[in-house]
Amino acid sequence: MKRLFVFLSITILAVQIQAQDKYFTKTGKISFDATTSKSPENIDGVNKTAICVLDTKTGNLQFSVLMKGFEFERALMQEHFNENYVESNKFPKSEFKGTITNNASVNYAKDGTYPVKVKGSITIHGVTKEIVTDGKIIVKAGKINAVADFSVALADYNIAVPSLVADKLAKTASIKVDCVLEPLK
Amino acid sequence: MNRKKRIIYILLVLLVIAIVGGFYGYKEFNRKNESLTDATPAFKVKSTDLISEFAADEKAANTKYLGKVVQVAGIVKKLDKDDKGFYTVVLGDTSSMSSVRCSVDSLFTAEITSVKPNAPVFMKGICTGYMADDLGIGADVILNRCVLVKD
Repeated sequence: MKRLFVFLSITILAVQIQAQDKYFTKTGKISFDATTSKSPENIDGVNKTAICVLDTKTGNLQFSVLMKGFEFERALMQEHFNENYVESNKFPKSEFKGTITNNASVNYAKDGTYPVKVKGSITIHGVTKEIVTDGKIIVKAGKINAVADFSVALADYNIAVPSLVADKLAKTASIKVDCVLEPLK
Repeated sequence: MNRKKRIIYILLVLLVIAIVGGFYGYKEFNRKNESLTDATPAFKVKSTDLISEFAADEKAANTKYLGKVVQVAGIVKKLDKDDKGFYTVVLGDTSSMSSVRCSVDSLFTAEITSVKPNAPVFMKGICTGYMADDLGIGADVILNRCVLVKD
């Protein structure tokens, strides 16, 4: 009986350890900002329904975000964003697939803030590019907060900026990622 | 004299047009996203049917639903609260990994907390697309700026 109990506990423990390799969220925050010093208003939007999955064992990291889910303060700006710039009917989704290159230096079992380097490919507006960026992994109370801040040049992704607004809309947009991941059960 | 009058008249008309135009432009520029409480849904659909439509043909479903106001009837699987205090009502069949995720308009946070799991509800929101299950976490249809529909 005792042996059975020990066996069962070990099995349960093993299953739990295995299950906790993967962390995910379906409510990740991704925001972007393309405001210039000459902009009469802030050109920024936020998406609260980004998906993020992180495999802590391998450092594999994936993001997926629906372009129509970006919310703007001004409705007109949101319409222009969708219709004229990212053409969200044609390209509804943006994705990132990559890895944390220094994954070994992150101790996911211990609370703390760990600087990370992330490398991978990002797809926006149907164009895929390789990117490398710095980020942070913040481990706290069994949850993982993945934070990154990087910029993309709109021209790289075939997003044309009409000359009329060229001095009001930045040529590079800064993108902020803030995802709180929970263990995948 | 007659000619002078006519010029003044034309100038006045132009001024009125400029004021109306300017006012319209200003209002349009500052237009906010309105809450969907009074919006008429383009489609009324069951959550499970919406999921199967996207699963069967994502492209066709995108053409049909993207950016449209959709009213979904479904059973609440759970009510998610995220780290920033935003709520998501997850609708669908509890035996399935797939769901319709209704990201709730933050103006309606207070009323959404009354939603209980396993209860049938109607939610109305803008369909922003489909996340296929290529990551092993279930496929989802996403609705944004959702409000609870009371009958």
